[in-house]
Amino acid sequence: MATYIARRLIQGVIVLLAVSMICFLIFRYMGDPVLTMAGRYATQQEIEEVRRAFGLDAPTHVQYARFIWNALHGNFGKSYVSRVPALGLILERFPATFELAATATLLSFALGLGLGVMVSLKPYAWQNRLVMAGSLGGISTPTFLTGILLIMIFSVYLGILPPYGRGETVTIGFWRSGLLTLDGIRHLILPAVTLAMFQLAVLLRLTRAGMREVLTEDYIKTAWSKGLSSRKVIFKHALRNVMIPVVTVAGLQFGEVIAYSIVTETIFQWPGMGNLILTSIFETDQPVVVTYIMLAAVIIISINIVVDILYALLNPKIRYD
Amino acid sequence: MKSTRMTLALAICLALVLAAGAPAMASKIVVAVDTPPRMMNPHGDDSDAGLSFMANFFDGLLQRKGANGELAPALAERWEHPDLLTWKFYLRKGVTFHNGNPFNAADVKFTFERLSNPEVSEFINTGKTIESVEVVDDYTVVIKTKQPIPWFANNMHQIFIMDKESTESRDPGDVMVKPIGTGAYKLVEWVKGSYIKMEGNADYWEGAPPIQNVEVRPIKESSTRFAALVSGQADIVTGVPVELFEPVKKNPKLEVVSRPARRSIFLALGNKKGSPQADIRVRKAMYMAINEDEIIEKIMRGHAAPAAQVPDPPTIGYNGTIQRLPYDPEGAKKLLAEAGYADGFSIKLSGPNDRYVQDAKIAEAVAKYLAKVGIKVELDVKPKSIFFPEVTDGILDFYLIGWFDGTFDMGRTYFKIAHSRDKDQGYGGLNGAAYSDAGLDKLLESTADIVDPAERGKTLQKLNKMAMEDLIVWIPLHYQEDLYAIQKGQGIQFSPRPDRWMVYKEISR
Repeated sequence: MATYIARRLIQGVIVLLAVSMICFLIFRYMGDPVLTMAGRYATQQEIEEVRRAFGLDAPTHVQYARFIWNALHGNFGKSYVSRVPALGLILERFPATFELAATATLLSFALGLGLGVMVSLKPYAWQNRLVMAGSLGGISTPTFLTGILLIMIFSVYLGILPPYGRGETVTIGFWRSGLLTLDGIRHLILPAVTLAMFQLAVLLRLTRAGMREVLTEDYIKTAWSKGLSSRKVIFKHALRNVMIPVVTVAGLQFGEVIAYSIVTETIFQWPGMGNLILTSIFETDQPVVVTYIMLAAVIIISINIVVDILYALLNPKIRYD
Repeated sequence: MKSTRMTLALAICLALVLAAGAPAMASKIVVAVDTPPRMMNPHGDDSDAGLSFMANFFDGLLQRKGANGELAPALAERWEHPDLLTWKFYLRKGVTFHNGNPFNAADVKFTFERLSNPEVSEFINTGKTIESVEVVDDYTVVIKTKQPIPWFANNMHQIFIMDKESTESRDPGDVMVKPIGTGAYKLVEWVKGSYIKMEGNADYWEGAPPIQNVEVRPIKESSTRFAALVSGQADIVTGVPVELFEPVKKNPKLEVVSRPARRSIFLALGNKKGSPQADIRVRKAMYMAINEDEIIEKIMRGHAAPAAQVPDPPTIGYNGTIQRLPYDPEGAKKLLAEAGYADGFSIKLSGPNDRYVQDAKIAEAVAKYLAKVGIKVELDVKPKSIFFPEVTDGILDFYLIGWFDGTFDMGRTYFKIAHSRDKDQGYGGLNGAAYSDAGLDKLLESTADIVDPAERGKTLQKLNKMAMEDLIVWIPLHYQEDLYAIQKGQGIQFSPRPDRWMVYKEISR
């Protein structure tokens, strides 16, 4: 086990290095941040002077080595745009993204599981066919369309939910939370539903497929024939076995939702990391974008490692050699 | 008995106080803007979106007021320009910064010296042109420039004065997020990505602003900004896109406010020797082939005004006698034939697709119009972060760009976009198609040494006419229109500024 974990960790570090290198190379083609930093009226000489001042005149590999060296010391550089440390800028936005992603994941998990079980019991009932058709819609509708439609319906026409922002927030230590006020929760509904939509469809289909397979197993037939209540058969015997893959996928998706909430956050002007990153890409703010991608990679890699380890603990049949 | 009476009296007093407090109770306004601030350091962002925020927390030595943006005193009560290189400012007395520090000449000196530090300033160009800042006494400052800068005073509304003591003593990171200025508003809270809350400065030297609390919410997505307005969550919205103009106008609860923007959109065209466009007849033909009226009607949906030159009317150097060449595709074909290009030629048209109103669509339309007279246009539109470096490198032939000059001075603009590229002098840095004409360069350089503003204005007008009529340095298209929307019937008094800044002391309700 210990060697397995060590190996996974080493793999993780290699992936991080690769990710950071790709980021650096991409930035060669993303425009020149110095032009903005020197100001609109700067002369060619002044532009070169600014380039030197920020060390951007060095060749890419030198800049990259410098970045890695600083990153190892916990310094991810200062944003070119707001001139404050990039890591702080991103972490400041973390609570907003986390709350949105967690709510969306919970929502999709609860609904996906519930609907999935319901659908699997009577797959051919018309209302269940409708749910399945809806889930297909959920998978195939792009997030920006869902978001804009929800805003049009609930904010513009019905006027019952706010269209943007986090509303009233409460700060506890460094964590700025919108979950503790009614206004904050009202602001959370539309973006969370938008973000949950895709995940919900995936979890629903996964639960349904698993349940249909398990329900035909012999031990379920035995359970029925023992005369157990249907609640016990479905939830205790069948669903528990389906849960393993569903939990895995939900966990993995949580990492993705945090990393990819860019579209939802932009539509709803949600002050999270995704929103920051999109702005930073447009403004060629290399330190912020690279730091963010590294951070996202760290999150996804660690979730993967944790899931793998949990697997081994949950199911002793799984061996890692 | 006595105590009940006392209680009653107290209650009445309290009621009176509360009642009296009610009307004076803070008025509030919520504004949804299209661009968030990058930082709260007034020199670190020279974009108008950034300066628009800073103008509320800080003051310049001078300010811009009124519909045409006339130069008016601010932290300087008056100024003198005794010779070509010297600018003398007499400062206002009794002004204090938000932290209570008094404003004086040391702060002005500190501010101007800070401009040339690339770590904190994007006004490096302004900073580097300054030779020295001399403190004569606490309220008099003499600034000497290295070369004659005729528009120096015209720039003073965007150089915001910082407090020397607190800027030096605070952590540099803190300076980036907490503004301490002399402005009409103090920052209450800035939650990045969410809102900027500000409150009126009761000790403001012009008097406390009419609206006590301002909440600015940057919303980049235009449809969401529109939703914020319609759902009543914002009182004023900036940057209404032309495609949302009709729905906003139809909504009975909303009112659209528009004003001609200062920014003109035009096509820059190089004149490299041997290229077809070096021939004035070809330049004329390309100008005449473009149906600008149709662009305004179909693409800008009526929200633009045709332009015959680059500067807008309030700019020094604007020449009202310059006329657009008429739309005449037949005449264009004839001119092309005369020049020996009866079968046309090929040219690449570059431009940004995320910078100006409908920029990519305008470029597409231009390509189609030129195709009709036989000129084959290869279209190359791309994000501004990639397009603008190409302009700076001067490697383009033909491109769409927009311009307006914050100093209201055409001379500065022309040195940047019309003068031949000259790295040593720092001229022509944004002359992306490397246009070059010796006569124009010479006339332009001569304007820098004219002391008399009236005479200088006249020379600039002459220069402008020469550039637009004799040389056709650019093909002008139109002036954009700035569109805002406000809640109707709420008593909001708002007249947009020419520079698009949102200066809240000018708004009342």
